[in-house]
Amino acid sequence: MIRVLDSLAARTAVVAVLGIVVVHLASLWTYEHAIESERHAVHATRLADQLVVMKRTLALVPPAEREGVAHDLSGGALDAHWSREQITARGPGAPAASEAGRAADAPPPQAPATNALAAELRTLAPELGASDVVVGAGADPHLAVVGLRLPDGSWLNVRLFATAPPPAGGHGSVLSTSLMAAGVLLLSLAISVWLTRPLRAMAKRVAGTAPDAPLAPLPETGPREVRELAHAFNGMQARIADLIARRTRALAAVSHDLRTPMTRLRFRLEEIPEPDLRAAMAADIGEMEQMVEATLSYLRGDAEAEPVRALDLVPLLTTLVDDARDRGLSATLEAPATLVVPGRLVALKRAISNLLDNALAYGGAARLSLSEADGWAVLTVADDGPGIPEEQLAAVLEPFVRLEASRSRATGGVGLGLTIADAAIRAHGGTLSLANRPQGGLTVTVRLPRTR
Amino acid sequence: MTSEGHILIVDDDAEIRRLAGRFLRENGHRVTPARDAREMWEALEAGPVDLVILDVMLPGASGLDLCREIRRTSHVPIIMLTARDSEVDRIVGLEIGADDYLVKPFSPRELLARIHAVLRRMRMAGGTPRAAGHLLRFSGWTLDTRRRELTNPEGAVVDLSTGEYDLLLTFLENPQKVLSRDHLMDAAKNRTPTGFDRAIDIQVSRLRRKIERREDPEMVKTVRGTGYFFAPEVERA
Repeated sequence: MIRVLDSLAARTAVVAVLGIVVVHLASLWTYEHAIESERHAVHATRLADQLVVMKRTLALVPPAEREGVAHDLSGGALDAHWSREQITARGPGAPAASEAGRAADAPPPQAPATNALAAELRTLAPELGASDVVVGAGADPHLAVVGLRLPDGSWLNVRLFATAPPPAGGHGSVLSTSLMAAGVLLLSLAISVWLTRPLRAMAKRVAGTAPDAPLAPLPETGPREVRELAHAFNGMQARIADLIARRTRALAAVSHDLRTPMTRLRFRLEEIPEPDLRAAMAADIGEMEQMVEATLSYLRGDAEAEPVRALDLVPLLTTLVDDARDRGLSATLEAPATLVVPGRLVALKRAISNLLDNALAYGGAARLSLSEADGWAVLTVADDGPGIPEEQLAAVLEPFVRLEASRSRATGGVGLGLTIADAAIRAHGGTLSLANRPQGGLTVTVRLPRTR
Repeated sequence: MTSEGHILIVDDDAEIRRLAGRFLRENGHRVTPARDAREMWEALEAGPVDLVILDVMLPGASGLDLCREIRRTSHVPIIMLTARDSEVDRIVGLEIGADDYLVKPFSPRELLARIHAVLRRMRMAGGTPRAAGHLLRFSGWTLDTRRRELTNPEGAVVDLSTGEYDLLLTFLENPQKVLSRDHLMDAAKNRTPTGFDRAIDIQVSRLRRKIERREDPEMVKTVRGTGYFFAPEVERA
């Protein structure tokens, strides 16, 4: 039930239908109540008039003819008889029908209901004196017996059949209520679907944006509440972006500022006479520089304004492999004569260099292989190291994640190498995947689209 | 063949001025340090300067603007120093007239190599190196000396190592001439880990692998016992 009413549209429809039905029923009841009392009043007035006419008529005719005339005047809801005695109070012996007899058996005649009838009659027909009207109620609730004293002391006894007016279209009101409910349901569904459309559009837009892509401000259109929501959302987004930008600037500023003291260190190094110490310090400074560069490169990310150009991957890989060999490391390259992709030279070179350095550091040797397949340039970097535990394959792409123990001690760095490589490859529309080979060692596969 | 010259270092960092000054003096250069724009102009007026090393971040004035101002009156070679990668594009892209740039942190040897390269080019071009333009074309290839970038005849960027770039630049500045290994070594000085002839041969073979193709099988010819010869015609633009 909760799930069914989950959408704003459904809830709006339910609220609308419930509200309309309650209001409708209340107004229907009030209306029918008013009609009912109006009809009752008319009915009572007519009865009173009839009673008065009967009384006057009987008073004018001789007593011998009175019963006949009374009979003639009967009809509809009235059954009139004449008698010397008042029979409502006295009961048996009345010339009334069996119902009248039962009426006479009735308990004390001055029941509240009959009293009310008497009072009503007196109000409607003031010429009926207080003592001239006696009302008796029978066991049958549909029957009342009214006794009217004629001027000569004889009585006109009228039995009133309480003819309830036919209920005013009970089935009709059920039908109209259901029809209206259905109509309101459809209409409110349609309206609320229309009303919530901007909300759904907003959600779709936010959800459809890649997590690391900059989110364009939401259009502030639609009803006021939606505009306010969009406005608030845009404000929050701007604050978050501003916060990130400020943190990034602070970190970048520190990294930049480190470059001047590192340059000084480089110069001071030249003044150290002992070659061993100089070499060791040069290595330390080199490592620090690498960390600063890696951090800056990570922070720059897509902000790097390097244009995408046609780029031959083969000489780029050759440079990296030659450089590794110059450092006395074991690296091989298998590649066609040329393989051009649209790319950013600095970003791609840094990415592939990170992969190569990882392979050399952890695997001791790196085998690079470049080929073309179905419009993709496919580069694999394989090493013979211990690989990466399966459960950590995804984690190593996260920033500042370094594997425990053997794999991390081998090199310096801050755990950004694979993150930067992955980000750069993805920025080129490519993919980077890691896999342990069954026979041991890790293979990193990079796929880059050959066309933009 | 070491090019000794009068070098003006403009940097607001006192230690950089002192350390770089000492290092360059030890390598045979005369050095004048300048703390800001005022001291720089005083030094430029005081006597002939062969090369200016100009930091981009200076108190009161942007190094980029200063570089442009110097260029209005002088052809003196300028090497820009920057600590921000974002400034590289402006140094390279804008017509501010710098001859080369270095991003901090750089090694002293890198600085020395760049100084030598700029001074050598300056001398070869007879004092006005910039008048000739920064694009060198040969057999459909283009070397952009400002961006330090090589593009092949199809327009694809071909990556070069620093050593390969220096070697190619030396060939392009001396086309169709026999260049001795010594000359090439000097050009690539402080670049290669070893200083033997063998290192030059390796650099040449690596460069050949990147630029020689079926259409142009022998751009760099070996002159037995002497050195190398760059065959294609070179055009400056």
